[in-house]
Amino acid sequence: MIEAFLSKLKDQQDFDESLEISPYAKMMGFRLVRQDGQLTTVMKFHGDLVGSPFPPALHGGTVAALMEMSALMQLVWNVDQIHIPKTIDITIDYLRSGKPEDTFSKARIYRQGRRYATLHTEAWQSDPAKPIASAMLHFQLG
Amino acid sequence: MTLENKNFDEVVLMIPHARRLGLRLLEREDDYFVVEMPFTADLEIIPGSGLMANGAITAMLDTVLGAVAYGQFETFRRIVTLDLRVDYFEKPRPFSSVITKCRCLKAMDRVIYVQGDVFCKDEQSPIAHGVAVFSSAEMEARK
Repeated sequence: MIEAFLSKLKDQQDFDESLEISPYAKMMGFRLVRQDGQLTTVMKFHGDLVGSPFPPALHGGTVAALMEMSALMQLVWNVDQIHIPKTIDITIDYLRSGKPEDTFSKARIYRQGRRYATLHTEAWQSDPAKPIASAMLHFQLG
Repeated sequence: MTLENKNFDEVVLMIPHARRLGLRLLEREDDYFVVEMPFTADLEIIPGSGLMANGAITAMLDTVLGAVAYGQFETFRRIVTLDLRVDYFEKPRPFSSVITKCRCLKAMDRVIYVQGDVFCKDEQSPIAHGVAVFSSAEMEARK
């Protein structure tokens, strides 16, 4: 289903689509954006994402979830396979506190073999040069 | 406020995302927490599949591991996640709630090492495992 959703998008140059086909992605406010040939997953800020009320900051788990989604989207986009890859593990480095605002993530396929793929992702807010977190993920393919 | 004089559920109510995940304490001993995340349809990654999103499991681990780190101190500390690694062994049972049992490996003044297992019904067959490092700092007056 997610594959069908993505394959429809592949015909379009630029887009900004809600990922609401997935109930969890809808709850999180995830969107998939393509601009200049690059995919970005966006987490629109809303109150349910807050982890610390005073001062308000994003819950670290939401940033991890965003980065996993961005890695998965990049992989499904590139791999053209029927099954959604299984996440083997994720390792997250938290670099800065997340402000109560929209958060963006791009993923890079670091290595893709026949059976496994390794991806690196970053998450940032107003300034892409100042990531709030980075992550490395392994996926099982096929 | 420490977890000694505030119970976990009250602390969770103050964390909007933990409240959104529906986290609730099942058991608490001196050295571990057991917390449940009930299945709800909006935590499904694919509609109708009954499969809870990995992201929700990661966020539950981050919350409960953080609570364990926080619980190591008598005084109010600012607890910050430095890193978190989650191994996903297998998919959760469809439509099942997910439970995590988290404990402290080592607590020092500035750095706290914690780990947790995630399972559905059977503690002996975990579906995921998390390990995290938190840093702690005394609360400073904001300038």
